[in-house]
Amino acid sequence: MRVTLQINGKSNEWEIAPGDRLLDALRAHGVFGVKDGGCREGECGACAVLLDGRPANSCSMLAAQAEGHSIQTIEAVGEHPEQGWKKTAGLDVIQQAFVETGAIQCGYCTPAQVLAAKSLLAKNASPSEAEVREALSGVLCRCTGYLKPVQAVLRAAATLRGEAVPSISGAIPAPPELFGGGPVEPSEDEIGSADLANTGVGVLPRVVVSPKTQNFQTVGRAEVKVDAVKLVQGKPAFTADIEKRGMLVARVLHSPVAHARIKRIDAAKARELPGVAAVLTWQDLPRVVYSTAGQSDPTPGPLDMFSLDNKVRFVGDRVAFVAAETEEIADQALRLIEVEYEELPAVLDPADAMKPGEVILHDEPEYVNFGESDPQKNLAAQIRIDIGSVEKGFQEADKIYEAEYEVPKVQQAHIEPHVVVTYWDEDDRLVIRTSTQVPFHVRRLMAPVLKLPIKRIRVIKPRIGGGFGGKQEVLIEDVAAHLTIATGRPVLYEYTREEEFTASRSRHPMRVRMKTGVKLDGTITANEMHALVDTGAYGCHGLTVTGNTGHKAMALYVGDGPYRQAPNIRFYADIVYTNHPPAGAFRGYGAPQGFWPLERHMEKIARDLGLDSIDFRLKNALRAGELHPFSTAWSEGREPSPEILHTVGLEDCVRQGKAAAGWDQKYRNPAWHEVPGKPHLRKGIGMALAMHGTAIPYLDMGSASIKMNEDGSFNLLVGATDLGTGSDTVLAQMASEVLGVPVEDIVVYSSDTDFTPFDKGAYASSTTYISGTAVVQAAQKVADRLRVRAAGMLTARGGAPVAPEQIRLAGRQAAAPDGRNVTIAEIGRETLHYSNQEQIMGVASYVSPSSPPPFGAQFAEVTVDIQTGQVKVDQLVMAVDSGVIVNPVTASGQIEGGMTQALGYAVSEEMVYDERGQVREKNLVDYHIFRANEMPALQTLFIETYEPSHPFGVKAVAEIPMDGVAPAVGNAILDACGASVDANPVTPERIWRALRSQEAPGSNG
Amino acid sequence: MIIEYHRPQTLESALQLLGRDEPLTLPMGGGTVLSRPGRERYAVVDLQALGLNEIVSEGNLLRIGALSALQQLFESDALQPALRAAAHRETSLNLRQVSTVAGTLVVSDGRSIFATALLALDARLIWQPQDREIGLGEYLPLRENFRGGRLISEVRVPSNPRIEIETVARSPEDRPIVIVAAAKWPSGRTRVAVGGFGAAPMLAMDGTEPAGAVQAVRQAFSSSSDQWATAEYRVEAAGILTGRCLEQVGV
Repeated sequence: MRVTLQINGKSNEWEIAPGDRLLDALRAHGVFGVKDGGCREGECGACAVLLDGRPANSCSMLAAQAEGHSIQTIEAVGEHPEQGWKKTAGLDVIQQAFVETGAIQCGYCTPAQVLAAKSLLAKNASPSEAEVREALSGVLCRCTGYLKPVQAVLRAAATLRGEAVPSISGAIPAPPELFGGGPVEPSEDEIGSADLANTGVGVLPRVVVSPKTQNFQTVGRAEVKVDAVKLVQGKPAFTADIEKRGMLVARVLHSPVAHARIKRIDAAKARELPGVAAVLTWQDLPRVVYSTAGQSDPTPGPLDMFSLDNKVRFVGDRVAFVAAETEEIADQALRLIEVEYEELPAVLDPADAMKPGEVILHDEPEYVNFGESDPQKNLAAQIRIDIGSVEKGFQEADKIYEAEYEVPKVQQAHIEPHVVVTYWDEDDRLVIRTSTQVPFHVRRLMAPVLKLPIKRIRVIKPRIGGGFGGKQEVLIEDVAAHLTIATGRPVLYEYTREEEFTASRSRHPMRVRMKTGVKLDGTITANEMHALVDTGAYGCHGLTVTGNTGHKAMALYVGDGPYRQAPNIRFYADIVYTNHPPAGAFRGYGAPQGFWPLERHMEKIARDLGLDSIDFRLKNALRAGELHPFSTAWSEGREPSPEILHTVGLEDCVRQGKAAAGWDQKYRNPAWHEVPGKPHLRKGIGMALAMHGTAIPYLDMGSASIKMNEDGSFNLLVGATDLGTGSDTVLAQMASEVLGVPVEDIVVYSSDTDFTPFDKGAYASSTTYISGTAVVQAAQKVADRLRVRAAGMLTARGGAPVAPEQIRLAGRQAAAPDGRNVTIAEIGRETLHYSNQEQIMGVASYVSPSSPPPFGAQFAEVTVDIQTGQVKVDQLVMAVDSGVIVNPVTASGQIEGGMTQALGYAVSEEMVYDERGQVREKNLVDYHIFRANEMPALQTLFIETYEPSHPFGVKAVAEIPMDGVAPAVGNAILDACGASVDANPVTPERIWRALRSQEAPGSNG
Repeated sequence: MIIEYHRPQTLESALQLLGRDEPLTLPMGGGTVLSRPGRERYAVVDLQALGLNEIVSEGNLLRIGALSALQQLFESDALQPALRAAAHRETSLNLRQVSTVAGTLVVSDGRSIFATALLALDARLIWQPQDREIGLGEYLPLRENFRGGRLISEVRVPSNPRIEIETVARSPEDRPIVIVAAAKWPSGRTRVAVGGFGAAPMLAMDGTEPAGAVQAVRQAFSSSSDQWATAEYRVEAAGILTGRCLEQVGV
């Protein structure tokens, strides 16, 4: 049928099918600013357009319905102000505000948020914060925590009203009260009104600035993200935003049963269906065992997976691949594939997995063990770490505390689903354009699976619409690649939201038993954790995620006095196969699973001993100059090396965080815990400490190359993978700091295995530290040549000779001490065109010998309905020691977004399975992630230390906000009403049951 | 899979299309559900040109056009705050812009706050042809029987009862696992509807003697166990919420 659609003020006559959704029609006609979240119930809102001026989801309406209505997309909102000789009106005020405030992380939902804001401001010039949050509430964002998008809209509104807004650029404003060691005090408003999200047009976080950073030019400034302008315009920057002639659509037939052998599979009818280009079953593909875990070689886990197998091991496992001309034909073909399953008993309780006589998931002869894995026992990995004399420590304790805790399986829920496009290029090399965190691991892992040499594979990572670990898995690249090999044609494979829940990866669920020996004065004499870990059907990341559970959580408390020098710590874990979907990497990588039991346990111990819970924690926590207790015992399944901690800002984090959260005014204040007029409500405040890591020492490598151009600009090529975190920007900032040019003179190109140097990828909180050091070292090589050439040019121009080491690079100039200077651009022209020509270029690689932990103090404030158990989180405050903050806006965005994900982990997110292994949650309605209009107040404080192992004093920031929120919320609920809940998420029924039982703290001592 | 799209300009032509034997032909409001890709082959009749989207207050009656969007209800001063809030909580903003009142009721499950609220208010559905009036409480359990040759043109809601709604959910915007909606008429008539589980909201009590309301509600939840919550919990929580609702509506 033909329709006429009014899009961005122009009339478009299109031929469509009656069932075409508006989303499909728009994208088929190149309107790529409309993004597809893969959802079928319109829950994410990334596809929103303005329909007659109001935000509406284009995935939830037919294209035909839109006829006669005005449709506006991001393409008509604003554009780049400079387009050669053509000048434009530039970005819209709202877009500019999004760019300036750091409201854009991955940028996948940004066009929809901008449109929602445009709709709001068109009818309300002075919206309140609540009104802005309501306007943005139709668009889910998994990155930002909504704080900066709200600030962006408020800022745009102020600008449109002609009001001045505070500057964001420049050095970090350090309020005087933050210097000299005094804690920042909350205002009366902040103490009394946690319902406010403390959101104004000011954007920068509070930072205690390290004095060593005072001479930095670019590092430490809120530079605009290098990809922000294109993302705010909705440019076709993502994997699926591509048109290839003859491109096929891939679909996968997934197993309906939890465990079965495929007795018979017949794809003949599917292959005969017109429009079907290929159907592949296990009989059609080479049988290559591999792991989907995107980690450095050798993969630290068992090899236990095939692209397609004659056995299925979970509901959602792969059965067959289809490539067809359209999605509808592909779906129809899936239904024509005849499969006869021989169902096998399923293991769905991890406690049953290792029982003798249980069914074996992995009986394939190709299985390759790693470490202690034993498929005959359904054991994917095992960890046994004893530090010190644990039993002796227990004997020396006055009291022993034991308790069991449980953490759930949860989903990364990046708004852009897994998506890949594959095609042969003109040199018969296979191009894999994929939304991945690990492009170089994709190339390495796919080569044997596809029977191609590495040199015939090129992996390109465009912008990523969020990853959070989910795209550290080489999950679907092989599907499209096999189909391209089979058909010779380009293939697009996009997961639906349902596939994200049924056939993707998740956080490892764990059952954790804690045992802690303590003296009456609060000294921990021994601490033990035993984790039973459900890796699901495949072992990807099982060993390393679980190792991190111990390495991060159990390292925090070493004990006091003599125990500080010789801590007694035990961490045991059994990582077992079950017939659940596999677990994998998820931001935090095992640490959140450790901090829930650890910090709930510490709270209970402190309360039972009558100690101040914060004093108790700090008494036993690691301090600067001490040995990381796990550094001699564990290193991702490889040889460990002792590591001394140089920077531990934990006490300052606690001090500043307490002040910002109003801890002293609230904790143990009975009046504050009451809610006037509502006797069924109780307020509570809780906290947790956290430590994480920064990169994997002696293993993971980052590299960079920098090439100079004749206008004084530089191409920075990095293999590092920006998944929305802003790593391209902070890497550019570090290069610009060394080279003395503004960030705009650094042109970043990243993550293309043909053109950028190797990098391990985006995981383990490593990019700013590892890849950043490589960038700095490459820049230093370039800077050395700039100084040599500048010295030569200045000397040649007359006057006193200048030595290269006297040259200072700053402000796009190379200057001698006496003020003579040449511009960087002059050096560029001189070296490329005029004399002694050379391409000034620097290449560097870096592997770290250390992994300096960031530290944090997390505070949470809640209100509990003591009759129903319903809880509302009112405020989250996190004070973080992440070393020097390279970019306060992107860094605080990481904390805000991380706390928000962790908030879901605390109260609403979990994946629940029935007795057939079917998951309860298949969409983002049932799997509830927080919307803009239900968020608690968020506050971030950075307490800078100067980490000596990095050129600019940097430590990691991205993962630590995942660690403390859930236990802090759990502890706040305990504070509010005495309900001690040991399993998260802390649902109303769990609280209600805890209230009913009113169990005493878990002491048997 | 949608095989035909029609946008009739009159009610008569819409009914004519909906009355066809073949192909299966369904009325489309906002299209948020029917537009989803699926296996079933059907034709849709988009009702947007029929103008059934007015909200009119007449005496003690609120006449809501079947195609009124949920966001329209939320923004309407004609509705009392609790009912506006129920429209708001039903789904996210972008879907409320297009989701219609009738469409929401047709597809609602037991966790629908909006349907629970309208059930408490004893809302009536006006069906075409013939302006046939059916109570929401009669319609919900028999929805499958209402396919073919007809459409909802209006939802009539009494505006003189006061309604209050209480819920339990994991977060403020999450779909609730316990819903209690209580409406009280000036005459003393009180209706309590419950939801948060099952295929549709349920009426727990309707009468002028609310003394047994809490017990009736508890009874309504007695077999409510599912993957989201146990009946044991829901019974207790619903009892509490019922007490609060009744107090708020002045019982």
